[in-house]
This record gives sequence, C-alpha cells and structure tokens, in this order.
Amino acid sequence: VVSEAPAGEPLDRTPPATVDARRLGQSEGYDTLAARNTRLAIGDTLSVRVRRSEGSEPRVEQFQVPYQKWMRVLDALNWIAENRAPDLAYRWFCGSKMCGTCAVRMNGREVLACWEAVEPDMTIEPLRNLPVIRDLVVDRGPFDRKVAELEPWIERAAPYAGFPEPLSHRDMRGASKALDCIGCMCCYSACPVIGLGDLTDFAGPAPLVQLGQTALDPRNDPAKIERSLARTGIFNCVSCYKCEEVCPAAIPIVTRVIEPLKAKAAALVPAMAAHSFALRDIVATRGRIDPSALVLRVQGLRALRNIPRVLRLLLRGKIDLIKTFLKRTTPAAVAARRLLGGRR
Amino acid sequence: MKFAYYPGCSARSTCAELNEATHEVAARLGLELTPLEAATCTGARELRAIDPIGFLTLNVRILALAQREDLPLMTICNTCTLNLLDAHATFVDEPEMAREVNVRLSEDGLSYSGRTRISHFLWVLYEDIGIDRLRQLVVRPLNGLTVAAFYGCHITRPPGRYNFVDSRNNVALERLAEVLGCRPIDYSGRTECCGFHTAAHDERVAIKLTGQHIKSARTNGARTIVTPCPLCHTVLDSFQREIEKDMNEKLDMPVLHLPQLVGLALGLSPETLRLDRHMVETRTIESFMGS
Repeated sequence: VVSEAPAGEPLDRTPPATVDARRLGQSEGYDTLAARNTRLAIGDTLSVRVRRSEGSEPRVEQFQVPYQKWMRVLDALNWIAENRAPDLAYRWFCGSKMCGTCAVRMNGREVLACWEAVEPDMTIEPLRNLPVIRDLVVDRGPFDRKVAELEPWIERAAPYAGFPEPLSHRDMRGASKALDCIGCMCCYSACPVIGLGDLTDFAGPAPLVQLGQTALDPRNDPAKIERSLARTGIFNCVSCYKCEEVCPAAIPIVTRVIEPLKAKAAALVPAMAAHSFALRDIVATRGRIDPSALVLRVQGLRALRNIPRVLRLLLRGKIDLIKTFLKRTTPAAVAARRLLGGRR
Repeated sequence: MKFAYYPGCSARSTCAELNEATHEVAARLGLELTPLEAATCTGARELRAIDPIGFLTLNVRILALAQREDLPLMTICNTCTLNLLDAHATFVDEPEMAREVNVRLSEDGLSYSGRTRISHFLWVLYEDIGIDRLRQLVVRPLNGLTVAAFYGCHITRPPGRYNFVDSRNNVALERLAEVLGCRPIDYSGRTECCGFHTAAHDERVAIKLTGQHIKSARTNGARTIVTPCPLCHTVLDSFQREIEKDMNEKLDMPVLHLPQLVGLALGLSPETLRLDRHMVETRTIESFMGS
C-alpha cells in the first residue's frame, strides 16, 4: 500500500540547502495557490469588506461570509448577493476564466473573481483607472475607445494567398502570447502610468495587447502598423511589470508584447524611439551610459531650463561635465562599438 | 569569498557613492570583489526593445567576463540584475542565438557556457554571507531607526523571473533592516515603481509616482528610505526637490543605498559611506548611531 501525503503537504520535506533570497516572504505571505488553499477550513467565517457606490460617495460595507470548500471570490460575492445585499452590482458570465468580465481588486491586487481563492480578510473594490458605474461594475468605454483608435485589425500588404495560408507557428510566435488576452482589464487597472490619467499619451497595457494581436502578425501591412503605433505613446511604459504580475492569462505583457511593439515602433516610426536610439549611440561610443550625455542628447537645450538643479548636482559631485565632454576610450567602449556598430 | 563585481553605469557616475560604499562594506564582510574593467552597460531598458541581439550580446559578454574569472557575479542595480538574468535565460533557452553570440564574442577571445551565477548584493547577504554571520558583524545596531524599504521593480518582478504571485509579499529588505537594528515600517510604496525608465525624456511620470511613495513612507513614520537600486535612488533622492515642488510640500526624506545602511550598522562612518554625496541631507539619521 502506497501511503498518500495529506492534501496540501509537499511530498519533499527536505529543507532547502541554502536560503533562496529571491523568494523571501513567499511562505509567510501564502504566495502560492496551494498555500492559500490551506488557510481556511469549513466552519471558518470570512470577513469581507465591499466598496459600494451609486453615483454617490463610495462606502464600505462589511459582511461575514461562511467559508465553503474551494471557495472563490466570486462565490463570496454570490453569497453576499443571495443572502445579504440583493442590490450588490458585480459582473460575471462564464465563471471559468474565459470571458474576462469579473475582474475586481482584492486586497489591493487585481484578480478574476471566478479564479481567485478567497482570503480570511478581504477588501473587494472595483478596478481602478476606469469610471465606476455602480459598486464593482466599471465602464469599459475608455478602453473600447482607445482600442478602436488603434485600429487593431489586419490590412494585408500582399494579396491573400488562398487557403491554407502558408503560416507557420514560427510566423505566429510574435502575436501568440497577445492572442491569449481575455480583455479583463486587470493590467489596465494595475498600470501606474495609466493611473496618472492624461499626464502622458500612453495607451496602456490592455489596448497594447489588443494591438499586439494584429501588429505582431506577419500578414499585417507595415504602413497600417505604423499608423497604429504612432498613436500608442508606447515609450511612456515605465517597465514596472505590474501588468504582467496581475495578468490572469499569464501573458508576459512587457517582454512579449510591449517590447516587440517598441521594436516595431523603432523601425517604423523612429522619431518615437529617439530616446532609445540616443541611449544606444551613447553605449556604442562610450561603452557605458553617461547620464548627462543622455539627458543632453534627449532633451537638448531643454535640459538647461533647470539651472539651479544642474548646479546642485554639480555641487554634490553627482554629475561630472569634464567626463561628459572628454570621451575616454576604454576597453568597454571598444567592445561596445564593435558589438553594437557605429552611430545610427 | 570572491565575486566578480558589476556596479553598472549609475554607480560609476551619478551614484558613485554607492560604488564607494559597496567596496567599503564588502571589505568589512570579507567579500573580495574583482572588478570587470572591460564590462559595458547592460543596455538599460532601451536596448532590449530596439536591439534584442545587441542586448543579448552585451549581457552575455559580461557573464563571459565573470566566467573567465571563474567567479560568481555580484550586481548592485535592479535593472542590471534583471537584464543579466534575462540574457542568461535567453542564452540557455535559445541555443541558436547562444551560438551566434559566442561567435561574436570569440573575436574578443571570450566565450560563455552558461556557468555564471548572478546575484544582487541583497541576495549575497542572505545566501553567501548568511544572516547569522551578518548579525555577528553588526557593531552599531541602528536601534529605533524607522526604515521604509523601497524595493523598486526589477528585483521582485516579473513573476516569470521571481515567482511571486504578489510581489508585495517580498520581505528581504525588511528582514535585513531588522538584523541591523532598524524598525521597518509598512507603507504603500514598497514594491511600486519610481518611474526612472522614462525620466530621460519626461520626468513628470517619475516625479508624480515617486511623490506618492515618499509621502506614504513619511506618513507611516519612516525616518529614512533604503533601496537596493541606484536608479530608484536617483529619483527618490536627486529628484526630491522637484517632487516637493510638485506636491507643494516639504518631504526631507533621506534615502540610503542598501550597502550604506548595512555599512552604518557595521560601524563605518557616514563619511566613509559617502552620505555627503546625497542631495537630501542624511544628518537626521545620525542620532540613531549613538551606541
């Protein structure tokens, strides 16, 4: 008879040989699905706070919800609607991670209500960065309009080759991850740049993923892609990976969508990537980045608008203009020039 | 304990104090650092997008330089760390590209076979020095100093690299601060973004984002912020005057590089750790170094 390990217990009990410093806090934070499922048992009561609003100041309502086995955030919301607050507004449809309508913020993190395990203490709020219609229901209109502006469709540069189209999985690799998007808006809510409103013209992760589905498709006309990319403000992405962290479809949004789109923008609309080209040139000539040289290249005379700050930085030795203007030839510079090529 | 040492561009220019402090602290910890003099920039965020092959080549070259010394590689910048980890992963996952890169590196007499262990100074403290040993080395615990840990992004995200479901669960900096005698505080900015990577063309994003974080640290009682990343430090410290102007509010929040906080507890002086090179005065925290 093979003895079975109790549910939730790892089979391998040997302690790790050394500390894994990159993951400190994962066990105390119940940072895996398996760990979170061990936190509650039948008979427990959840403390749930729901942020509610209807054209008025938002208010927080508190509910005590009996835990049921394998309970999801959506089950808790359903229990509240059926037993305590029949007027609670929230959206869901498929209940199985497909339709992307049930996203909410749970304890400050964007999750799909239908897929996320409940926690003993939960604050549930509507997504950020979209207008709230009522309670947990947000208006997706701003997203829809942005996506429409980006014209996320394919216009063929070459005539249709007929069926079956000669397309390999390799050809579709670029767009493949973006095609996993369920349009749930978790990333749009998590994006700090979108959180700053109209400060920049950044389209945001969700619209860029929608665009990536066709702009990274080899059949699309470069002229069409160029037109779309010019409207994205894509170089305002701060590369914080918040979008990737919350994506329930596990799309590597930064590395497999935003960066490839930036590469396309650099090729098709080079003016958008002026900062990136300046950085590349500086690395290619100096081997390393001289921040003053970069700022001068990117901002030109604008950099001198804030003279007091330049003086402050000089005073503390934060910038060294002699170094900036006297380019020393170092082994790093020689290597970088050879490997990256000369100036563009 | 020997490491090849890769400070990155920031610690060699605007944050030179980080480089100096790291050398001083390493000596106290018994870490022998071998600088890779011929190492280039890792390409920041820009190169990886517009020139993926150039990005891979520069990063793998740095890893090859460390491998030639037969040493693990220690970094002190979040973005450099992630770039090197990503390049290493691509090198391992894409044998065709790996071969191509090695052909280009062979002109330099270099070659990489995927052997270099990449570790940030923060991880070296835990994995190589060990927390117990570090505790023994603390001669001047910073008792009562309330610290806001500012992780930045690239040392705790993306999930594909560090495996956090929720990167806010990372406690490496807080636990370390406790070993040094400090009292870490909780606040909303811990694992948020400083906005550095778009600041060369538009500072407003960095100023707006980081203003919220410093304010939250202050409201929650922090006397100082500590960060493992010189890029975050640049925004938190060098931009703080502009942030104050934008918020119309004084913040006066000293910001320490991680090796500086460690160094203070190991008994090194603020002068040795070059706290005088910061834009925001750090004198307010010196009262915690009494004992």
